[in-house]
Amino acid sequence: MRDVIVIGAGPAGLAGAISCAANGLLVTVLDEFMKPGGRLLGQLHQEPSGEWWNGIKEAERLHQEANKLAVDIRCGISVYNLEQEGHHWHVHTNTGRLTARFVLVATGAAEYPIPVPGWTLPGVMSIGAAQVMTNVHRVQVGKKGIIIGANILAFAILNELQLAGINIDRIVLPEKTPISGKAAEPEEIMKSLLQAAHLAPSPLLRFGGRFMKHDWIRKLGLTFFPKNGVKVNGTPLQLRKAAVEIIGKDQVEGVRVADTDVNGMIIPGSETIYEADFVCIAGGLYPLAELAAVAGCPFQYVPELGGHVPCHSEIMETPLEGLFVAGNITGIESGKIAMAQGNVAGLSIAKQAGKGTGTIDQQLQQAVQNIRNVRQNAAIQFNPEIDKGRKKMKELWKEHYAKGDEKFHKIG
Amino acid sequence: MSRILDHPVFGKIHERELVSFQFDEKTYQAYKDETIAAALLANGVRKLRVHEESGTPRGIYCNIGHCMECRVTVNGQANTRACLTVVEQGMIVESGKQLPNIIKRMVEQR
Amino acid sequence: MTNIENMIICRCEEVTYGQLLSTANEHKCSARELKLRTRAGMGFCGGRTCRVSIDKMIEHVKPNITPGDIPLKYQPPVRPVTFGTVGEIK
Ligand SMILES: Cc1cc2nc3c(=O)[nH]c(=O)nc-3n(C[C@H](O)[C@H](O)[C@H](O)COP(=O)(O)OP(=O)(O)OC[C@H]3O[C@@H](n4cnc5c(N)ncnc54)[C@H](O)[C@@H]3O)c2cc1C
Ligand code: FES
Repeated sequence: MRDVIVIGAGPAGLAGAISCAANGLLVTVLDEFMKPGGRLLGQLHQEPSGEWWNGIKEAERLHQEANKLAVDIRCGISVYNLEQEGHHWHVHTNTGRLTARFVLVATGAAEYPIPVPGWTLPGVMSIGAAQVMTNVHRVQVGKKGIIIGANILAFAILNELQLAGINIDRIVLPEKTPISGKAAEPEEIMKSLLQAAHLAPSPLLRFGGRFMKHDWIRKLGLTFFPKNGVKVNGTPLQLRKAAVEIIGKDQVEGVRVADTDVNGMIIPGSETIYEADFVCIAGGLYPLAELAAVAGCPFQYVPELGGHVPCHSEIMETPLEGLFVAGNITGIESGKIAMAQGNVAGLSIAKQAGKGTGTIDQQLQQAVQNIRNVRQNAAIQFNPEIDKGRKKMKELWKEHYAKGDEKFHKIG
Repeated sequence: MSRILDHPVFGKIHERELVSFQFDEKTYQAYKDETIAAALLANGVRKLRVHEESGTPRGIYCNIGHCMECRVTVNGQANTRACLTVVEQGMIVESGKQLPNIIKRMVEQR
Repeated sequence: MTNIENMIICRCEEVTYGQLLSTANEHKCSARELKLRTRAGMGFCGGRTCRVSIDKMIEHVKPNITPGDIPLKYQPPVRPVTFGTVGEIK
C-alpha cells in the first residue's frame, strides 16, 4: 500500500516525492504530461552569474533522484477528482482510482487569458504554449509572430523564442477593456517592468537598465515613448500600440493594431495591419488549484500570490487532514522556489507519518528557511510583492487554523 | 513549419525513430514520443477542429492540457487532447466536426 | 473601429463580451448566475480559460465587488472522463 500520492511531477511534486521517499515512505507521482518535469521542461534563462538555468537538465536530475529512491512516477495520467473518506484520500484518474493517506497537490499554474477579437483562430496561443512547443517539442510555432501583452513571462519566453531562431516581429499591448485592465495601460506596464528589472532575466535586465539611466522617461511618462518602441534584444516593445483584432480566415494572417495615448486609449484612425502567422497572448500566471477546490480545501484571495490560493501553513499543510500543497498552486514563483517548497511538503508529510529521525523538526525548519533564501536570490520573480503575499497567508493561517495545526502535530 | 534541429544551448536533436499516423485520412510522419499537436504543427497543420456549433476553426491554445481547444478523436476515442497525447504508429486521428446542437450535448455527457 | 462587442470570452460556448455585458447589466447577477444565463464557463474546459474574465466583468458592472468576494467554484470532473475509467488500480 502506498503512503503518498503526489499530483503533478513538476519541480514541487518531484522534490516532495523525493523527500518523502528519502524518509521511507512509498510514493506514487501522477502527471498528465508525457514526461516528468512540469513547466520546468520549457524553462531556459541566463542567471545573473551568466550560467544557464536549463529546466530540462533540472527535470532530468530530479527524475533520476526520484528513480533512485524507487518513487513510482506515472505520466500521461489525468486526475479529475479528489475525495476524502475517513483518514484516506481517493484520487480519481482517467485510468482508475488510487488511494493513500497523504496527498500532495502540486499542480502548478495556468495562464491568465486576455481575450482579443479573433483569438480563437488557429495560430493564436498562450505565450506558454509557444514556450513548450519550442523548448520541449522543438517545433517552430511559426515564421513571424506578434506577442500581445508585456510582462516578465513574455520577456523570458521572447528570449527563448529568439534563441531558437524564431522571429518575433513586435510586442504590443492588448486593447483596453474591463478584462484586460492594467495589462493595457502603458504606464502600469512601464512601472511593473521597472520594479522588476533588477530581478528579471537578461534581456529585461538590459532593457530595464537602460530606462533607469534615462529617468527623463519616467518623469515625462510615456508622452515621448518612441512610436516604434524600444528594442528588446532586437524586438520592438511598443507600449503605445494596442492589438484591436487578430485577423485571418482559417488561421492567423495578421494583427490589426492601433496607436494609443498614454492611458492606453485608442487614437481613432491610427490602425495598421501587421502580418504574422502566429500570435502569443501573455496574460500572466495564476495558481491552478481546481483539485484543492474540489477536495473542499478553503481558499483565500491573495493578489500578490496570483489569485485564489488554497489556505496553507508555512510547512505546506492545508486545513484538511492529510492534504498538502506545494509549488505554484500556493503562489506564482520560479521553479527553484517550487522545488524548495516541495522539499518542505515532503518533510512535513514524513513528520506526520511518524517517519524521519529525531532531527525531522530541525530539517523542516532548515527547509523553511531555505525557501526564504532561495526567494531572496531569485533570478526571476513574477510579483515584486511576493513577500507581502506570503506573509498574508502565514498570518491568515495563524489566525484561523493554528489550533488545528497543533492537533495535527499530536496525531503525527 | 519545421523543427528546431539545432539550438545554441540545447544542442542538436538526436536522430529519433519515425512513425506514421493519419489525420483526417491523410498520412503524416511524426517522431516517436511526439504529441499529436506537435507532429501536426511540424507538418504545417494548425487547424485541429471546428467549433461544434458555429464551425469556426480551432487549434492549440495552451499546449499543456488546460483549455481543451485541441480535442480530437483518437482511435475512436472522442475528446482526446492532442497536446498531451503521444503519436503511435498507425494511430487514426480525426478532427472535431460541426455537429447539430443535440449531438453536441450528448458528446459532452460522455 | 474596435470589435469588442463581438469578442469571444468563453471559447468553449462562444459567448461574447457583448452578451455577457448586457446580461450582467440587465440582471445585475452574480458570477454563477451570469454563467448559468449565458452558458459561459459551462463548456468543455470547465471555465478554466474564461473564469477570470467573467469575474472581471462582474467587478466591472458591480463596483463594490472585489475579486475576493467571488467564490472559487470548481466541480468535478476537472478533466475529461471517458468510459472505462472507474475502478481501482494498484
Ligand atoms: C506556461 C508556463 C510557463 C512558465 N515559464 C516559466 C519560466 O520561464 N520561468 C520560471 O521561473 N517559471 C515559469 N513558470 C512558472 C512555473 O509554474 C514554475 O517555475 C514551476 O514550474 C512551478 O512548479 P510546480 O511544480 O508548482 O508546477 P509545474 O511545474 O507547473 O508542474 C505541475 C504539473 O502538474 C501536472 N498537473 C496539473 N494538473 C493535473 C491533473 N489534474 N492531473 C494530472 N497532472 C496534473 C501538470 O501536467 C504539470 O506537469 C511557467 C509556468 C507556466 C504555466
Ligand atoms: S491546447 Fe489546451 S488542452 Fe491542448
